[in-house]
Amino acid sequence: MSEKNIIEINQISKNYERKIALSSLSFVVEKGELIALIGPSGAGKTTLLNLLASILEADSGELLVDGKPMSQFSDQKKRAKKIGIIRQQFDLVGQLPVIHNVLAGRLADWGFFKSLFNLFIPQERQEATTALKRVGLPDKLYERTSNLSGGEQQRVALARLLMQKPEIILADEPVASLDPARADDVLDMLTKLAKEEHQTVIASLHSVDYARKYFTRLIALKNGKLFFDLPADQVTDKQLEELYQLKELS
Amino acid sequence: MKKRRSPFLTFSFYAFLLLIASSWYFVIGIKNASLTELFSKENLEYATKFFKGLLGVGQEEIAFLNRDSWSDAFKLTVETLQMSIMAIGFSTIVMFLTVIPAARNVADGTLTLSRRWYRWFVFGLIRVSYIFSRAIPELVWAMIVIFIFKPGILPGAIALALHNFGILGKLCAEVIEDTDSRPIRNLASAGANRAQILMYGVFPTVLPQFLTYILYRWEVIMRTTIVVGFVGAGGLGQEFKLSMSFFHYTEITLLLICYLILVIIADYISEKSRFFVK
Ligand SMILES: Nc1ncnc2c1ncn2[C@@H]1O[C@H](COP(=O)(O)OP(=O)(O)O)[C@@H](O)[C@H]1O
Ligand SMILES: [Mg+2]
Repeated sequence: MSEKNIIEINQISKNYERKIALSSLSFVVEKGELIALIGPSGAGKTTLLNLLASILEADSGELLVDGKPMSQFSDQKKRAKKIGIIRQQFDLVGQLPVIHNVLAGRLADWGFFKSLFNLFIPQERQEATTALKRVGLPDKLYERTSNLSGGEQQRVALARLLMQKPEIILADEPVASLDPARADDVLDMLTKLAKEEHQTVIASLHSVDYARKYFTRLIALKNGKLFFDLPADQVTDKQLEELYQLKELS
Repeated sequence: MKKRRSPFLTFSFYAFLLLIASSWYFVIGIKNASLTELFSKENLEYATKFFKGLLGVGQEEIAFLNRDSWSDAFKLTVETLQMSIMAIGFSTIVMFLTVIPAARNVADGTLTLSRRWYRWFVFGLIRVSYIFSRAIPELVWAMIVIFIFKPGILPGAIALALHNFGILGKLCAEVIEDTDSRPIRNLASAGANRAQILMYGVFPTVLPQFLTYILYRWEVIMRTTIVVGFVGAGGLGQEFKLSMSFFHYTEITLLLICYLILVIIADYISEKSRFFVK
């Protein structure tokens, strides 16, 4: 086992009742890689990310993070230091001011009383302000989160990840509900921040263009199987065409 | 496009007409009731006398023009206010203590992301107590409580609280059931434990709605004090019953004015606090 491998997936399978979502999937992720998961809808991207986030459990196969099986990360506080998740913008608590949604990234390190006290007098305001500055929202500290636009809310979610500082970031369609300009913006920021923090990113994306533009490695899934796994600049248009084709060429 | 009328709707309409016609036939034909009798000269006289009484026409002692009566009524108004605040306070406290396990999505673990076998048992127990509390009217609760304690505003408050905690509990449990689980899942993946999920994910989303319900029930309780007052729970209601029995009509007018003032106060407070929450 190499020191650099942060995630190792070995022959992993997952079924929902009778439906096969993933079938004997294997790949290895090195620390600091920016990976885009692509493939038609229903290919198993969400299922794979949920397995990595330990929201789901695999039926068979082996999943190692830092060389250790997932079961060693059953404590959610420890897991939060290792793995962070960003989905669509509905993930924030809309009624809370922005600063609390950002500081929620620190809940893994805070005890009961500090968390409670923080709701009345925000703690670690300096760090929260810095995080919001880095995502380009320096003046929205006390704004109600639901009043922000979709793109701004995604930036708040990124600021939360900056507070959480996980080693791996899992992103499930992080820009699916944003217009192209905002989507560009959020992906640019996500990958830039991850590089600065030496984090590993695995993001599922609808758009191949975004995947090629911002990520270094593309993993394509189709019908729960690995279709290809290539560096971003080696993926050909023909492969992509086949990936999104409705029927297999026989 | 022409919509086809559903046969059930047509049937209901004719059944409705038939029901009205037969009811009137029963009232007038069989019971021999007469409409003219309802508006008879005698009844008119009683009505005029009653309303004149309320306004104090031709009476020596007019309560609502009398200083002492006003100061008595003021004391009773304050008592009523105390009773209503105690009642809503008790029921709110009990509601807060029970409402979280009473939500379906907490019982099945989708909201707090933790499953325990005993959750459904606790859920059932609390929901049954809510139903029990709601099903018994305030008046009956008051009669039971006053049977045990001696009359006064505290038993009145307890009776009102007993009826209202079931209502508040049900309304607020439903608010929790309607909360979006996505932000909560995300808090969990950021490392929040159960208590932190409640503090950051659940309470901020449900509290404004809770407050609306609590204030509304408070206003209702304030009016219902009159009902429990009838059986001796104190406050304006008890006085109201005494004035009725002694035919002190101008006092009734005074007490009604006091109720008006109470409701205006409640209205003002709920509007202000709702503004404050936003
Ligand atoms: N909770 C579930 N129950 C049953 N089938 C599911 C469930 N979630 C996903 N699936 C099925 O598993 C397959 C993979 O789904 P998913 O991982 O969501 O794909 P993607 O995210 O790539 O669109 C799909 O065929 C989907 O219908
Ligand atoms: Mg998906």
